Amino acid sequence: MIRLHRLLPLLAVCLLGASLQAADAPTITVRKSDALNVAFTGIGGSDGALASKVVQNDLTLAGWFALVQPGMASFTVSGTFAGGVLQGKVVKGSEVVLSKNYSGSPRMAAHQFVDDIVETLTGHKGIATSEIAFVCNRSGRKEIYLADYDGSNGRQLTHDNGLSVSPALSPNGHRLAYTGYQAGYADIYVIDLATGARVRLVKFPGTNSGARFSPDGNLLACTISKDGNPELYVVSLSGGVRRLTHTRAAESSPTWSPNAAEIIYSCDETGVPQLYKISSTGGSGRLVSTGFGYCTEPSWSPDGQRLAFNVRSGGGFSVAVMDLNGGGARIVAQGENPVWGADSRHVVYSTGSTISLLDVPTGKSIPVISGLGKVTEPTWTR
Amino acid sequence: MRFQTFALLSVTALLTFAGCANKKNKQYAGIDGDYVSGTPLGERTEGANFMGSNVQRGQYAPVQFGYDSSSVAPDQESKVAAVTDALKGSGTTVIVAGFTDERGTQEYNRSLGEKRALAVREALIAKGMKANNVQTVSFGSEMPVDSASNDSAWAKNRRAEFGVVK
Repeated sequence: MIRLHRLLPLLAVCLLGASLQAADAPTITVRKSDALNVAFTGIGGSDGALASKVVQNDLTLAGWFALVQPGMASFTVSGTFAGGVLQGKVVKGSEVVLSKNYSGSPRMAAHQFVDDIVETLTGHKGIATSEIAFVCNRSGRKEIYLADYDGSNGRQLTHDNGLSVSPALSPNGHRLAYTGYQAGYADIYVIDLATGARVRLVKFPGTNSGARFSPDGNLLACTISKDGNPELYVVSLSGGVRRLTHTRAAESSPTWSPNAAEIIYSCDETGVPQLYKISSTGGSGRLVSTGFGYCTEPSWSPDGQRLAFNVRSGGGFSVAVMDLNGGGARIVAQGENPVWGADSRHVVYSTGSTISLLDVPTGKSIPVISGLGKVTEPTWTR
Repeated sequence: MRFQTFALLSVTALLTFAGCANKKNKQYAGIDGDYVSGTPLGERTEGANFMGSNVQRGQYAPVQFGYDSSSVAPDQESKVAAVTDALKGSGTTVIVAGFTDERGTQEYNRSLGEKRALAVREALIAKGMKANNVQTVSFGSEMPVDSASNDSAWAKNRRAEFGVVK
C-alpha cells in the first residue's frame, strides 16, 4: 500500500506531463497507426560504417518511424563516429531536438543513440539496448544463451551440461535467474552477469522453477512444490519466502504488474490452464477472462495495459494479446512464450527454430535469432 | 438517490462475493479454503540425481496419465503397489520423476509434471511408504520415451517414473 501511495502522485505527474506535451507539440504525438517520418543521413567519420548500419536497423525495428528522404521528413537523424565516440544528432528543420555523445563500441553507442531518439520523439522507452536470454540445445544439452535484441553478439552463458531452462532477466539486465537441474532436482539459480557469480537461491525439496523478477529486481515470483503441490511463491533475493496460492491445482508462469502489486499466472484448476490474477501479497486468484480454452505463460506489458500469452489452437501454439482494460484477446502470431519489451510495443517469442521480434501494432514479425538449433523460452531486459 | 444506488451496488457486490466464497465459483481459484493440499516434502537426499549413476531407474513400470490429467487412475494402482510392496519399511528413498507429452508449453509442462509426480507420491504414502522417503522432480516434456508426434507416443510420454536412490 505504501508503495502504491508513493507512486500515485508520480503517476499523476506523468499523465499530466503527457497531456501537456500532446497539447504543446502535436507533431510528437504518435498514434498507434501512424509512424513519424524520419530521415537518416548516415553516420560519418572513420568508424561510421558499422554504427550507421546499426542505427539504420534499429530505427527500422523500433516501429515508431517511417524512414523517408530528407525532404519529406519531420526529423533528420545524423552523426559521426570517431575516436570511440559517436556524436549523434536529431534535428527538426533548424531546431536541434537531440545532440549527445556516446562512447563505447560502435554497436553499443548506436543502440544507445537510437533508444534516446525513441524516448525523445515518442516518450517511450526503446528496445535497442535490450538483451535477449533464451534456451538453446546447440551443445546437445539445453543451456542458457544471451544475445543483443537484434540477434548479434550471441553467446552461451551456462555450461551446466545438464538441463538449464526458463531464463529470466532482471529489468536492468544485471542478473539472470533460471531453472537448473545440475544438482539432480529443479532449482532456481541467480547469476550476477557482471561478475559471473552464481547462487543456488531456491532449492526446496520438490521442483522449484519459473522465476520472474519483480519490477524493482529484488523479488522473484516462482513455482515451488515443497508443501506437496505446485504453488506460487515470492522469494526475496536477500532471503524470505512468501506463499501466494493455496489450491489443489498446478500453478505456473507468474508475471508482475508494473507497480508490483499484482501477479497474473496460469492455473489448471478447471481442468485446462487458464489465467488468474492475484495480489502479490497472496489471497485468492481471480480468473482473467480471455475467451480461449488453454492459456499459459502470460507476460504483463511494462505500461500495464496489455497481456501477451500462449493459447493452443489446432495442433500448435499461438501468441495472443489482450487489452487489460477491456476488449477480447486476439491471436497475433504462431509461436510460443511471448514476452513484452521495454516499449510495451514489441514482444519476443519462439517459433521453435527462431526467436522472433513482433511489432504488435503493425503485426510485422522478424526472426532475430535462428540457425542455432532449437531456441525456446526467450525473455529480454526492460 | 446517488447514494442509494451506490449502497445497493455495494450490497449486491457483497452478496455476490459471499456467494463466491460459499459455493465453488469458477471466477476464483482456491477460494474454498486455506489448506495444504498435499503431504509436505521431507529434506532432499542431496547428491541423488534422478538421471545420475546413484539412482536406479527402470526397475519399476512408470505410472501413465490421461491427457492434461494428474490423477493416478485405478488401473495404474498396481504399479504403485509394486513399489510399496518391495520398498515400504526398508528406509530406501524413492525419487518420483514427472513427465508430460509435448503438447503443452514449457513451464506449464514442468508444473503439470510435478503435479503428476506428487500424485504418485501421495499414492505411495497411502500404501505405506514414509513421506520423508519419497522425493519428486519434474522434467516437463523433456526426455520423451517416444519422440514421435502421435497419440500413442504422447500416451507413453505422460508418465511418472520411479528411481531408487542407491
